[in-house]
Amino acid sequence: MRKILLFATLLATPAWAQLPGLRKRQPTPPVPMLVQNPIELLRADFAAQSGGSMIYFSQGSAQLTQQARTILAAQAMWLRQHPEVAVRVEGHGDPTDTRDHALALGAERAAEARNYLILLAVPAAQVSAMTWGKERPGPPSAVMTLQDSGSPPLVPAAG
Amino acid sequence: MKAIRLKLAAFGAAALFASPVTATVQAGAPAATVIALPPMTSPDAGAKGNQSLAYAWQATQLIETDLRQTSELMPLSPDRKDYYSYPEVTAPTFSKWRDRGAKGLITGFVQQRSDGRLTVGCYIYDVDKGRELGRIGFVVAPDDLRRAAHKCSGLAYKGITGSPGMFDTRIAYVAETGAPGARVKRIAIMDSDGYDHDYVTAGDTIVLTPRLSPKGAHLAYVSFQGGVPQVRIADLDSGRQRPLLAGNGMTFAPRYSPDGSRIVFSMMLGANSDIYVVGANGGMPRRLTTAPGIDTDPSFSPDGSKIVFESDRSGTQQLYMMNADGSQQRRITFGTAAYSAPEWSPDGNLIAYTWRFGDTRRIGVIAPDGAGEKQLTAGSADESPSWAASSRELVFQRTEANGRPAIYRVSLDGSQPRRMTIPQDGSDPNWSGAMD
Repeated sequence: MRKILLFATLLATPAWAQLPGLRKRQPTPPVPMLVQNPIELLRADFAAQSGGSMIYFSQGSAQLTQQARTILAAQAMWLRQHPEVAVRVEGHGDPTDTRDHALALGAERAAEARNYLILLAVPAAQVSAMTWGKERPGPPSAVMTLQDSGSPPLVPAAG
Repeated sequence: MKAIRLKLAAFGAAALFASPVTATVQAGAPAATVIALPPMTSPDAGAKGNQSLAYAWQATQLIETDLRQTSELMPLSPDRKDYYSYPEVTAPTFSKWRDRGAKGLITGFVQQRSDGRLTVGCYIYDVDKGRELGRIGFVVAPDDLRRAAHKCSGLAYKGITGSPGMFDTRIAYVAETGAPGARVKRIAIMDSDGYDHDYVTAGDTIVLTPRLSPKGAHLAYVSFQGGVPQVRIADLDSGRQRPLLAGNGMTFAPRYSPDGSRIVFSMMLGANSDIYVVGANGGMPRRLTTAPGIDTDPSFSPDGSKIVFESDRSGTQQLYMMNADGSQQRRITFGTAAYSAPEWSPDGNLIAYTWRFGDTRRIGVIAPDGAGEKQLTAGSADESPSWAASSRELVFQRTEANGRPAIYRVSLDGSQPRRMTIPQDGSDPNWSGAMD
């Protein structure tokens, strides 16, 4: 079967957080009224079934919170039901961090989320991980943009 | 990028150095050494002579600009009344300059050759002792007069301070344009005087942290071209680029060894970032750290025997030292703040780093044994320090109040940082050693 590639999104941690420590999860981005693209449908379904596409960390930390684990568990269930969907977990560092430490921290966060999905029986080949460091600052929902047709889009995977 | 390597044919015995002038500036001392810089002369006569004198005047002004950028040397403004004859280049009237308070004197000449090129010669003297400290000469195309003048400035700087000059060096940085959150980033490179500005990458993918090889011929940087951050190497002469390693691992934070033969960098293995070393031309990377947590930003000591790096193995980011083979890892900073992105000075005496406390980032320096910690900047978002070849000055990135990054240089003497003029916003600056 042909694999559909979805870039799963990201784990983010906004360090510009107004509150110290763990941030409140932001509201799930609105689902577009007209969804014509099957990948967007998948993406919307994924987000709806798993409670969101983002997970958050406390500043400077790559440790999964209980809330993050809950979302990842729901995502893992969805991913096991959709083995044709490949997802990419994108980690983000803190914007006030130094450049390279932010890259490493984003990669660590992405790896922790991916490892947890694999622990929950999602095939390793279905989930890849990468880091943006502090290169894509802003509200995490902004990350979910469709790529051009050759290299597929994005699904929010990591809640 | 086109090569603009200089054909600087040195003539005679290159630079001869006696011991540096006695009026050596102590690090941290505010007083600068006054240098007399009368207009350079020419042995040419007639119409040709006038043209040669125009070149000589141009070179003199370039040297003045160079020296004014330093905090150690203070040139007297060149005055056409102080013109001297060709024989006086090597037999200057020291008493005249002594009376004006100068400790050093630069003389020189420009001569036109039949092949259209120029012979440029420079001499630096200790005025008090009436003694030559060094001389240097080149045959250059008229277009390269600027670089010959930089070499003269470097000779004067070394004669007075004992440290290599940084006038004939290059600065690589990331040129940034576009809206926040969708920045277009390109690796840019320029001579340290701002000339010969050029781009190394096209701006179609995010690029970070350019790091020049010691002589400035190659450049290692991080690109997201393959979907994940990976170290790539650019040959600045040929324009050829290649990944440092095959495969799809995440690699970043590259730095050359002082001899240019090796590159240290960070690589992710699962959730663990460790430091590796590999030949600059590739090969099998060798792992140097194994601690859990993030080890990154390695930088070699100038003799290549040690590496300073950053690790959060103790909880917060702190600076650590190890031998170049990874043995004898030990912590050298113990502050409550975070210490990161270290770079070892070319003279080996200091390590510059980014100090971070809460959201505040500043540039600091510390001795390799962990003593003498000192903050050089008082900004709120200063990071990524990189040393000048002189080891007396640094470039760094400052995010200004409008949220846009700019490149500043700061001297060790405690003077205010100065903003560099570049065409766009700039981040991740990196200063080369002296070029050939």
